[in-house]
Amino acid sequence: MVTAVTKGLSLAKEVYQDRGKRVRELRKAGKKIIGYVCLYPPVEIITAMGLIPFRVFGDMNETITAADQVSTTVVCPFLRSIIDLGIKGKFNFLDGIVGAHTCDIGAGLIIQWRDYVKDAAFTHLIDVPHTDHAASVDYFSGQLNSFKRHLEEFTGQKLTDDKLAKAVEQHNRQRQLVRQLYDLRKPDPPLLSSSENLEVLVALFSLPVDEGNELLENVIEEVKNCVNKQVSKKARLLVWGPVFDNTSLYELIESAGASVVVDDTCVGTRAFWADVRPPYDLQSLAQRYLVDIKCPRTYRQSEPAETARSYDKDLESRFNYIRKAVTDWKVNGAILQSVKYCDTHGYEVPNLRHYLDTLGIPSLYIEHDYSERSLAPIKTRVEAFVETLG
Amino acid sequence: MNNLASQLHFAGIDIGSTMSKAVIVDAESAMKAYVVGPTGAEHRRRANKVMEDVLARADLKIEDIAYIVSTGYGRVNVPFADKQITELTCHARGVASLFPDVRTAIDIGGQDAKVLKIKNGRLTDFLTNDKCAAGTGRFLEVAAETLGLELNEMGRISMQTDTPVKINSLCTIFAQQEIISRLSEGQPLPDILAGVYIAIATRVVKLARQLKVETPVVFTGGVAKNAGMVKAMETVLGMKLLVPQEPLITGALGAAILARDQAYQLVQRGEYDSHREKKLSEAYIEFTEKGS
Repeated sequence: MVTAVTKGLSLAKEVYQDRGKRVRELRKAGKKIIGYVCLYPPVEIITAMGLIPFRVFGDMNETITAADQVSTTVVCPFLRSIIDLGIKGKFNFLDGIVGAHTCDIGAGLIIQWRDYVKDAAFTHLIDVPHTDHAASVDYFSGQLNSFKRHLEEFTGQKLTDDKLAKAVEQHNRQRQLVRQLYDLRKPDPPLLSSSENLEVLVALFSLPVDEGNELLENVIEEVKNCVNKQVSKKARLLVWGPVFDNTSLYELIESAGASVVVDDTCVGTRAFWADVRPPYDLQSLAQRYLVDIKCPRTYRQSEPAETARSYDKDLESRFNYIRKAVTDWKVNGAILQSVKYCDTHGYEVPNLRHYLDTLGIPSLYIEHDYSERSLAPIKTRVEAFVETLG
Repeated sequence: MNNLASQLHFAGIDIGSTMSKAVIVDAESAMKAYVVGPTGAEHRRRANKVMEDVLARADLKIEDIAYIVSTGYGRVNVPFADKQITELTCHARGVASLFPDVRTAIDIGGQDAKVLKIKNGRLTDFLTNDKCAAGTGRFLEVAAETLGLELNEMGRISMQTDTPVKINSLCTIFAQQEIISRLSEGQPLPDILAGVYIAIATRVVKLARQLKVETPVVFTGGVAKNAGMVKAMETVLGMKLLVPQEPLITGALGAAILARDQAYQLVQRGEYDSHREKKLSEAYIEFTEKGS
């Protein structure tokens, strides 16, 4: 572990505050670190090759300057922040990067990384289809095979079935533990705050899988055994939207008198809800990533003939997992957040709000430009929304 | 409420981006006094000033006020308030107290515009444009400056025409340039002014339509004092609007009524006396010291 004394929630906070610290140490000891963007590059393959997957985020407090050379301001500010940090050398502890065509800018980012980030020894882009039909899963499985071969070439090692199965087990274990962590916010009051929860998750994206699992076990133990500092609040909210890797939004919402008890974001449940199912091969990875991750970047049309005829059935097939979260976490309001210019999520908002209406869940939509200062004007709206629930 | 018999007054104070307002109501929520004044740079001093003024008008002392709710942009800067509530909730309450059947309220202030959906007197949904000056009082001020007019003349002049020019830009700065180019084309002043109003109304109505406009619709905020603006809003919306006699103070009025509700809740829970004691020993002293 990072230090002998720090563990549990304090370790999570420490890693959250300096994400690169542990992987820098491991790199000095000879390990290779592979950065990945978004949820679609399978971390199991990276771990199985003896490499350490490190999820790349931007920095909400770093003004974007260098990225202006490679893109204009009408582009997703989260991805702009990443390339900005890359050009500035802030990811110099990475031995390579892998991205996926989850959205057009996400794919473009990997090409920019190859061209503009110094010492990018390994860059790889996985093509990801935008529907979850069987043919798409087969195609995606082929893409994962190319990724595997590229990594084999990079490391000079073979990916054996045993190594892959072991890595899948470790990552599945992590997902199971994260779901246990989320169970701790089912009671009223919840046993930990949404900011503490986010710090743990961001730490998981910054540590090797075995260290992450140990952290989770310690956190769950600690939270179950310590005196609960949380108070019961009338508003129990679900937060939805694209990547949010910073505690500022959760702090803002909780200081407005609400508890965030569950989320549907890609730094939260989306990353951990689905396990890889046996037989732990590339095809089952393809199934898990393309079909089982519920992100609006993939259009889920389970019964094409039926959904084509009925708006309500279409909504149900796209969002029924949210109905379950609302029931299980006793949610009574939802905050839909999006980073500016995210058409993937923007397209989904009116439909999702309508679906939430049918569940009797009021919702508030807010937009930010992936900077902490852009959250300030949102504060009054969040407070007013919480007042309407009280 | 027996123990409140000698002090059945409640205050709401709304520190907006441009104007500060204060209202005092009695136990029946009837308005006893109100004041309106510019906010300026020093929110705290302004809060004390409007409070002093409204107390003087109501012929009351600070000790006579049982509970104070602050709202608006500067609500955190009212040290003597018992509670802060957002302007959205306060406006909804204030508007509903004047028009009990209201379903939609549109408020255009100095730097923001908001649309409220209200049902049974309660706020149910809302939208605001709080990032950009388009469709706010600031837009009108810029137009007035560009044309060398006083704000109150603008409304009157704009009413002289039925053929407004088209101002396409929704951005305040670009619209200013557009006004200048219409002037240089030789367009008549009333047509340009009417065009400015239509441009603001279009922007705000676009916001309102996202929430589905249901009648009756009430129009409030400083901008609602302008007859030209009311006419433009009615034209663009295609319906009649209800405008309160004093459209600036609905937020402060709602805050005062919510102050009354809060005090009643404390009494019901048997917590009022201890709250009052703490209040008299701390916050009011701060008020009297800082205010003078």
